[in-house]
Amino acid sequence: MLWVDKYRPRALDKIIAHEEIAQNLKKLVSEHDCPHLLFYGPTGSGKKTLVMALLKQMFGPGVEKVKLENKMWKIDAGTRKIELELTTLSSTHHVEMNPSDAGFQDRHIVQEIIKEMARNRPVDTKGKKGFKVLVLNEVDKLSREGQHSLRRTMEKYSASCRLILCCNSSSKVTEAVRSRCLNIRVNAPTEEQIIKVLEFIGKKENLQLPPGFTARIAAQSNRNLRRAILSFETCRVQQYPFTVNQALPPLDWEQYVSEIASDIMKEQSPKRLFSVRGKIYELLVNCIPPEIILKKLLSELLKKLDSELKHEVCHWAAYYEHRMRFGQKAIFHIEAFVAKFMSIYKAFLIATFG
Amino acid sequence: MRKRNPVLVLSSSDEEGDGVRGCATSGGRCSSRRGSRSASAARKRPRGRGSRKSLPSASRDGHVAEFDMPSEEFCDHLHDFSKTPGITQTDTKELWTEKHKPHSLAELAVHKKKVEEVKRWLEERMKAPKEGIENCVLITGRSGVGKSTAIHVIASLLGADLCEWMSPTPTLWEEHVHNSNSGLQYMSKLDEFEGFIEKIRKYSLLHGAYAEELRKPTVLLIDDIPVTKGRASFSRLRKCIKTLIQSAQTPTVILITEYHKIESADSATEYWEELESSIEQAGAYKVGFNPITENSIKKTLTRICQEEKCDVPAQWIDHIARVSGGDIRHAITSLQYCCIKMVKSFPVHESVPNDTHDELKSGSPSLLSSASSGDGHINPQISLPWGRDEKITLFHALGKFLHNKRETPHAFALAPDLFTLKKKYARNPLKMDAPEEVLLQAHGQARTIMDFLQENVLDFVSDEATDSGWVVNSYLSDADYMLASILHPKFCRITETNESDSVRELVAASVAVRGVLFGNSHPSPSRWHTIRTPKLWQIEQTSRHSKIQMLPERFATYGTSSFCSLSSIATEYRPTIKWFYSPVNVHAHDNISESLHGENDMDCTDGSLEGKKSGESEEDDIEDW
Repeated sequence: MLWVDKYRPRALDKIIAHEEIAQNLKKLVSEHDCPHLLFYGPTGSGKKTLVMALLKQMFGPGVEKVKLENKMWKIDAGTRKIELELTTLSSTHHVEMNPSDAGFQDRHIVQEIIKEMARNRPVDTKGKKGFKVLVLNEVDKLSREGQHSLRRTMEKYSASCRLILCCNSSSKVTEAVRSRCLNIRVNAPTEEQIIKVLEFIGKKENLQLPPGFTARIAAQSNRNLRRAILSFETCRVQQYPFTVNQALPPLDWEQYVSEIASDIMKEQSPKRLFSVRGKIYELLVNCIPPEIILKKLLSELLKKLDSELKHEVCHWAAYYEHRMRFGQKAIFHIEAFVAKFMSIYKAFLIATFG
Repeated sequence: MRKRNPVLVLSSSDEEGDGVRGCATSGGRCSSRRGSRSASAARKRPRGRGSRKSLPSASRDGHVAEFDMPSEEFCDHLHDFSKTPGITQTDTKELWTEKHKPHSLAELAVHKKKVEEVKRWLEERMKAPKEGIENCVLITGRSGVGKSTAIHVIASLLGADLCEWMSPTPTLWEEHVHNSNSGLQYMSKLDEFEGFIEKIRKYSLLHGAYAEELRKPTVLLIDDIPVTKGRASFSRLRKCIKTLIQSAQTPTVILITEYHKIESADSATEYWEELESSIEQAGAYKVGFNPITENSIKKTLTRICQEEKCDVPAQWIDHIARVSGGDIRHAITSLQYCCIKMVKSFPVHESVPNDTHDELKSGSPSLLSSASSGDGHINPQISLPWGRDEKITLFHALGKFLHNKRETPHAFALAPDLFTLKKKYARNPLKMDAPEEVLLQAHGQARTIMDFLQENVLDFVSDEATDSGWVVNSYLSDADYMLASILHPKFCRITETNESDSVRELVAASVAVRGVLFGNSHPSPSRWHTIRTPKLWQIEQTSRHSKIQMLPERFATYGTSSFCSLSSIATEYRPTIKWFYSPVNVHAHDNISESLHGENDMDCTDGSLEGKKSGESEEDDIEDW
């Protein structure tokens, strides 16, 4: 088991990085007042860990006995019948799923599953009807209709179920949904917190940590705790005992993006643009999300760029990122950004060096 | 032809005894199934007006397979024409294609050699109808090149009876559902065809019970091969045809209209090609009819004009012949129409328009040349919708867009500009029709066109022009954005109608194409380029594939109690695990494996390793590609 999973805190008390939030959640559960919750924050900040710990706090260890189900849902949507396949994880107390897997029919799946959950409410020993929790991941990728139907079902079935929503950016969740939830922002852990976690793991694994080593990992992790732990583990595999100057193995795709960036800086021509396209395709084949490619590419380019161009380049990156979100084929927009960059940069070179 | 066999022979027009065949009425009503090709041209859309009675009642049948529906306007004029007595010198009940059907080889517009070939073949077969040799001929050609007519003429010349397989009017599905209570069986056309083949094989009915029949040779004509959908029914059809060809005792003629030569974008292409080759393989003798030459169309048209005593200016005939694209039926129909029009619009022959190029929307290259040599006398009042819609292939259209041919500067400098553009926005005029029209002709789907443009356009931009590269790409990005708001249901409102969608699609395609044309202001010197299929399609496929592979990982990697988002798998877990197993770290592998083996999620790392391997092999594929 990877360290990320092995040392994932299972209880609210054991959470290191977001102690305060954990304590508040604990209080919330103890008062038996559980509203709908919306967790948002950057990737690798510990949202899911918090959610799982919270569920355990609510229902006890039963929530960890989950089964993976690949179920066909037959939905009667007015005039036509839709069949959808969706994977869910469920225990007796909760159901977890990625509604955005259902694509543009997510609206129906959200309604249907919530309805079904409401039908089979668990009954506790005192004969009182309890509630189930539905964990929805990647809510920001839900379509607008999906979010609206989520809002309606939230109201209708609030007696029988609670929703826990997870997403990266709350700005992509509609107002209506946000206002019906208790919003919990899980910010990226600070470097100190990451160091603390890494040292905790090091102690558990009985590792000798040279001074400043964890700090270097933390600094490179971009405040992503998962990433920090993963690269900590790769370092352990690479070389142990650790040395002070040990190189941290980079992620292959990030290396690839920085290669692309230096390609772009070297030559600006349609031919080069074409070869860059080929490289981006390779990243896309490996399922690296296009937004992340664009973001990484921008930061790599900015590293090498003259400061007077930075503003303009950022502007265009933002412009095409927006396009990409609404557009259909990401490559069109990434390529347009690269082309724009080339054109700006070339003009700059000509102006500077003649 | 008598009703002596189960083969139904129905003519499409009311009048009896024209040419070779009669009208077999079934159930009292002269149901007009398709007659000869030319007769089917008589199909008109029934109009919801009182004056319908003047139209031939044969137009009831809406089964028009291979013709462009005559436009409403056309019908209109025919109406008017038939309602006004006095100026008619023709029998309105008849279309000229039917009326002026050739009766001799000399009148036939088809190329002599081909006619001779078919004739010789038929003669041979009729003289000695032997067993064991193939008795089939396959005639192919585009619509309106006179395939059926040629057969009819030849058959009558040789004194042979022509038997045509006519399937009964097909039952529409709705109709069947309606009738299903009455216990009628549904018969598809393919079923009918199979039954027919079976019958002639068993009973050799064409040599039928009538003794007198033996004296007269018969030719079997199959003009209406059922269209099938799906592999299963296609193989049935193939088997059927094979049986027919191998067991035919009478000379059999099969006609196939080649649609694919003009509509290459269609998937039907393959279908007909396959059918053709399978017929040939079964041993049929193939004769291909070419489109009829302009001259022979002209000759025919002139002959008709003389017979009809129509005074049609020579330019018109020239023009009709030119735009008909080798389709003589179309040419004759156009001629008839234009005679009507002439009579109607110009009761006195005082003004004869001698150039009509601007009314014509056919966009054929020959048209353009006539326009450029035009004499300036343009009569915009009359609009003559002659001319077939010319179709061009997708690749032809792409070539036009990508090569971006423009006039040389001095040619257009003569034209005074109404307003001046900045130099960087000014472009020379295009050496082609409006891009939208080219798009229409190519039947390009916006998405396909855009993908192709995106894949190929960079080859055509000169290597210095980085800016052009950006302009082109920005327009493509715009177009994608536009298109996505239609197709991506996440962001489109449900209330939107299909209509606005199709408009948006058109606009998106137009933006993409014009963007490419405008943006590529410094095209690279023209040389031979191959147009590649968009690599994007393959990329999308493989990335979808690897996404599916990742789905189970999502569960497994996350400590088995929760999901993990795909993006973090792709960007964080997978690279790490990949790194663990990369050859550099083989020795390290032992270290990690102990920590991995102890746990039960070994399969998860295995799975991801496999995923990674296949991912790599895919990458290699792409590099080779």
